[in-house]
Amino acid sequence: MVIYILRRMISAIAVMAMVGIFVFLLIRLAPGDPAAVLAGPAATEQMVANIREQLGLNDPLPVQFAHWMLEILGGDFGTSIFSGRLVLDLLAQRLEPTLSLSLLTLALSVTVGASFGILAAWRVGGLVDRLLLVFSAFGYSVPVFVIGYFLVYLLAIGTGWLPVQGYAPIGDGLSRWFAHLILPTVTLSVPYIAFVARIARASMLEVLTEDYMRTAAAKGASSYAMLFHHALKNAGVPILTVIGLSFAYLIGGVVLTETVFNIPGIGRLVVDAINNRDYPIIQSVLIITSGLYVLINLAVDLAYTLIDPRIRY
Amino acid sequence: MTMSRREVIKLGLAAGTALSIPSVLRAQTASAAARSVHMVINGDLSVFDPMFTTTNPTAYHGLAVFDTLFSLDSKGHPKPQMVGNWSISDDKKTYTFELRDGLSFHDGSPVTAADCVASIRRWGQVHPGGQLLMERATDISKRDHKTFTITLKGPLGPLLDILATTSAPLPFIMRENDANRPATEQVTSNIGSGPFKFNHALAKPGASFTYDKNESYVPRNEPADGYAGGKVVHVDRVIWDNIADQQTALAALQGGEIDFVEAPPPDLLPMIASDPNLELQVLNKSGDVYFLRMNFLQKPFDNVKARQAMLHLIDQEAFLSVISPDPQYARTITSLFGNTTPYSNNENTGWFKKGGDPEKAKQLFEEAGYAGEKVVILQATNIQKFSDAALLVATQLQKIGVNAELAPSDWGGIGKRRTNKGPVEEGGWSIFISNWDDFSIGDPLLSSFVLANGDKAWYGWPKNDEFEAIRDTWADAGSLEERQAIARKMQGIWWDFVGAVLLGETISPTAHRKALTDLLAVPSGLLCMWNMQKASA
Repeated sequence: MVIYILRRMISAIAVMAMVGIFVFLLIRLAPGDPAAVLAGPAATEQMVANIREQLGLNDPLPVQFAHWMLEILGGDFGTSIFSGRLVLDLLAQRLEPTLSLSLLTLALSVTVGASFGILAAWRVGGLVDRLLLVFSAFGYSVPVFVIGYFLVYLLAIGTGWLPVQGYAPIGDGLSRWFAHLILPTVTLSVPYIAFVARIARASMLEVLTEDYMRTAAAKGASSYAMLFHHALKNAGVPILTVIGLSFAYLIGGVVLTETVFNIPGIGRLVVDAINNRDYPIIQSVLIITSGLYVLINLAVDLAYTLIDPRIRY
Repeated sequence: MTMSRREVIKLGLAAGTALSIPSVLRAQTASAAARSVHMVINGDLSVFDPMFTTTNPTAYHGLAVFDTLFSLDSKGHPKPQMVGNWSISDDKKTYTFELRDGLSFHDGSPVTAADCVASIRRWGQVHPGGQLLMERATDISKRDHKTFTITLKGPLGPLLDILATTSAPLPFIMRENDANRPATEQVTSNIGSGPFKFNHALAKPGASFTYDKNESYVPRNEPADGYAGGKVVHVDRVIWDNIADQQTALAALQGGEIDFVEAPPPDLLPMIASDPNLELQVLNKSGDVYFLRMNFLQKPFDNVKARQAMLHLIDQEAFLSVISPDPQYARTITSLFGNTTPYSNNENTGWFKKGGDPEKAKQLFEEAGYAGEKVVILQATNIQKFSDAALLVATQLQKIGVNAELAPSDWGGIGKRRTNKGPVEEGGWSIFISNWDDFSIGDPLLSSFVLANGDKAWYGWPKNDEFEAIRDTWADAGSLEERQAIARKMQGIWWDFVGAVLLGETISPTAHRKALTDLLAVPSGLLCMWNMQKASA
């Protein structure tokens, strides 16, 4: 197990290095110039040229890459070209909103989605199952921003029960923090609930038709024991895989929700950085996110051993 | 269990007290809210050095944190701001400026003449007006702690207009140490002497920035008038919330979470107008001029006939119906000097005034020898008005048989591509769309848009020596009438060689809650935050 973890950690470093090279080349070869954005639309060519020189953007690409790599190896993720602040500081500022939204969404999606899927599979063809089909079609097809705007008008502007937008740090009080996250969490959860529910339903359906389930029923096992002791344990691996992937996706993929609800998270940080061509932010965030992906996948792989004793590394 | 009457009374009092606490807290919260104003400005503040960039958010930031020697009043006339007394020598070559009393930077140090000299020199490296000043000046130096002089080779009539410019970057006064840094290096200390202090502790780049009232600021005694007069701050704090999505910004405005949206999208204006708690107000009556710029160095627009064809092709009313559907916020424009400046005129505009003549345009393209060369139009997909206008230009060109092609990109991509002087096959371009403040678009000293000196000109690199010779005389003109005459001559030549094609002008109303009052009308597009007041909710 230890060797397996070490091997995975080494592969994570290799993945991050590959991502680093790819991202570095991608953003520099893509059209755009941070100096032009910095100088503004009315700037003269001379002004833009001066800024380019000052930022070192006229250096050859290998020189720029080496410079950046040396900084990264020294633990320095650089400074934002625009705000002049350390990238790690900016990331730290944005991590709490994104983590809060992601974890709450994951909790809601897993709780509701898995329950929904299990019940639908248990009573396949029944009312719950049909409802799940309708809900999952809705969850997949309606864009997140439509759900978001609808909820805002219903529960924020219309009634004033919840804030329209923004984020309150957890340090400002639990109730304020939670109130600001209710609408974004519900909005973002809709497709994930649909996704988790469909996977849970499919996995459970497969397991419920296994011979050992028939044996358990013949031995007089209760519905509860059959469902949760026998079926769910065996259906757990694909559900866990989906949850792991969803969390990894949530960390970097909540841009739209963050935009609709004006949550200053990592997703918006990256989008703004891409618009501005703020190279240090784009590079650092993508490298760190790739590392996070690898770690989450590792955690999911290790969690398999807890659910399925047959799996060993 | 029984309760005595005394216990019942005690319980009642306790319950009453407990119930009253939230309202007390609410009252405190409401009072604090009334002293804070939440604003959504158009764009994100990402550069803090106001001499480093031409973007509007940075100029707004500069107006809040820094101060200027002179400022424009609502009619566009320069008025002393940090300057108390000033004089000009009989030969009109030496200006003497004395700072008014009580000026200090946010770190407590007094503003001195040395700070002003260093700041002017730094600004002189980056601004067209400042560069002219540096060219014409033989000496800029301090006389004493509060007094400095500018000595010129010869008279420079518009010197005060130059010092009061609202064309970014503005000549803000910084501490001498900050100003001594090269203009290519950002100053991020945010220590100015303006009416607001930048709150570093609450700065959240990309999310919000906070400006606190500068309690030490000594405003002028005159009432506020445009950017001039007394900069009196009536609120404790102004918070800029960066809400990227306009729909969300409007929802937050309706919900009372923010007080002001600088640029609500045109399609949402009717909704705002119908909300009893909200108000639309035009603060900048001068508007924004939308234009298309052609590449003079490459085919087909290296030929004047092709550029003239564009003047005949463009129907401004069609463009305005797309980029600003409400006619009360849109108007056509034919003067190089905007619709609202004293230099606006109708010289040499009759021949293309109506536009929308595709047959004439087609004929002129043929006369230009157009042989199907690709015309690449840069389309800024993240700026809706630019994007829509580019699409319309491409469609109209295609209709008359021009091989027009859109090159979509965000503004960051266009910012780089438009520097390419090469042919379109080598990553060059033919047309891009942008806008400029009506107030300054044609100002020969402050606007790079109006230069026609080839390689040194703004993107598109128009070249016309006759125009440049006349433009050079502007700085020497001593009176408004002389400058108006020069403006007519310049415009006459400009529309012959077609330095650019105007697409129309929009006037953008701001949206705010009715509790927010006394917002200042300004002569150009820069937002200022003093003078406004907020009533308790």
